Amino acid sequence: MKKINLIVQIVLYAVLVLIAAITLIPVVYTFFSSFKENMEILNNSARLLPEKFRWENYVEAWKLADFKTYTFNSLLMAGTTAIGVMFFSAIAGYVFARASFPGKNVLFFIIISTMFICLGSITLYPIINVAKLLHINGSILGVSVIQIFSANATNIFLARNFVLRLPKELEEAAAIDGCDFFQTCMKIILPLLKPIMATIGILAFSGSWNEYIMPMVFTLGNPKSYPLTVGLIALQSQGEAATSWNLLLAGTTMAIVPILVIYLVFNKYFTKGLTEGAVKG
Amino acid sequence: MLEAKTKASEGKVKKRKSRDAVKSDIQAVCMILPQIIGLILFSIYPIVYVVKYAFYDYDMVTARFIGFDNFIRIFTNDPAYWKSILNVIIIGMSKLIVEMPLAFLLAYIIDSKFIRAKSVFRVIYYMPNVMSAAVVGLIYYFLFSASDGVVNALLLNIGAITEPIAWFSGKWTAMLVIGIASLWQGFGVNVLFFSSGMTTIPRDYYESADIDGATMLQKLIHITIPSLGPIMQVICMLAIINTLKMNDLVKVLTNGNPAGETEVLMLYLFKKFFAYGSGQRAEIGYAAALGVVTAIVLGIITLIYQRMTRKMNE
Repeated sequence: MKKINLIVQIVLYAVLVLIAAITLIPVVYTFFSSFKENMEILNNSARLLPEKFRWENYVEAWKLADFKTYTFNSLLMAGTTAIGVMFFSAIAGYVFARASFPGKNVLFFIIISTMFICLGSITLYPIINVAKLLHINGSILGVSVIQIFSANATNIFLARNFVLRLPKELEEAAAIDGCDFFQTCMKIILPLLKPIMATIGILAFSGSWNEYIMPMVFTLGNPKSYPLTVGLIALQSQGEAATSWNLLLAGTTMAIVPILVIYLVFNKYFTKGLTEGAVKG
Repeated sequence: MLEAKTKASEGKVKKRKSRDAVKSDIQAVCMILPQIIGLILFSIYPIVYVVKYAFYDYDMVTARFIGFDNFIRIFTNDPAYWKSILNVIIIGMSKLIVEMPLAFLLAYIIDSKFIRAKSVFRVIYYMPNVMSAAVVGLIYYFLFSASDGVVNALLLNIGAITEPIAWFSGKWTAMLVIGIASLWQGFGVNVLFFSSGMTTIPRDYYESADIDGATMLQKLIHITIPSLGPIMQVICMLAIINTLKMNDLVKVLTNGNPAGETEVLMLYLFKKFFAYGSGQRAEIGYAAALGVVTAIVLGIITLIYQRMTRKMNE
């Protein structure tokens, strides 16, 4: 019996490890190939490890292909979005959990229902028009503004649920001490919301960092504002892909490594936001 | 007299209270105002805009009301649009068939008593999900490229093929790559969903089954699968919606080529709105009509799905 158990265990581990390997291989290949010389990528792509680690790929991508600017833009866009989304969703979550103004429930219903409508590219064009009217098009921060103030239903929902679980006594005590609704939110509630704000912030950051279509449309013809994803795909579609695979793969690595590091360090936040949003939403 | 006095003071208290309440309400509305403005500017106005221009012929310069002409054109004279819908349905269905059993199996193995380091596997399987779909497209474009791709080189090395396959030149090989890339990126979510569903099944179910001498297979069929029914429906719904929304990955991998054969719904819409790489006259009105029809199609698919799962529940 023990022997059979051991065999079963080995087989099960083998299945899991095999799938894990398949999951990792494309990333590992990309990573190691980013150190190869371009000729080696073209002629000997099956070999995993480079003959010689060529760090110049990264130097060239950083300087010649301007990935320096793209990285900065990505950080700026994703950072602004994360901070804005965190702040405004927390406040909205508190308002929807505790305020009592007329029409609150209707408004909450409308916001939540935007979570279920999948609009994708349907409304992208008029959104760009609005951005033009507000003069926020052309800048990478314009994308952040839109990311902060639209489609935050899931985050507001998460923050609201968190506030609903807090004991009301805290706010009552604050009211006795003379805090009004706004002060209570800023001084008492926001500090308590840190855990859920971390989840929201990390998800917003990675979502914004990975965004492609909207920043592409926003920064069209303005390479100085490209974030990493847009700069990378622009380099690919210049038709010189074959001649600059080494730069492309170095750029790809730059685009995925930060997000993978964040994921490995904070993976609990990723999965928490995911399962809470899906199971309760 | 006394009564009147207390009533009066009560009234005062009430008034003061309500003044505080009004103040709170005003503050609350002001705090939520940015979200309300955002909702109007970036959600409601765009929807109204799309619905309005669906009835116009609009090329960014002049707009002319043409009634239902755009819609008639969609249903009579735009096979490419319907092909793009068919393509996402093909990709979605084939993905479901592979992805659901795979994710279930992996979650089931991870949940079993034989496996330690459960979270290590979950973290690895979910990893592709945190990457940008556009970048995943680029990685698979690299892996599957015809002359210098890794996949071709590996297949040649082991002798499975004698000459490189031009993956992106044929419809079905290109669709296969799209399917593989999107499966690779997405299956981990479902492992996580199944996993979290399995942890909610009470352990005593299994224990009492053990006492009755149930085999592993019996426990799987009579306990695990029925308990996961509700979550399975959510998972399928999310998987279907995600496939319908597919855009970035295909844009980078094939851009709908060869000759529009791998076009997907959202990418087709995007191209109509922004008229990329075609030099054609912009047709915002027609694109808006496509948007309206797409929203309705998505709504219908969601409804059908809900009907089906409700029937299954009964």
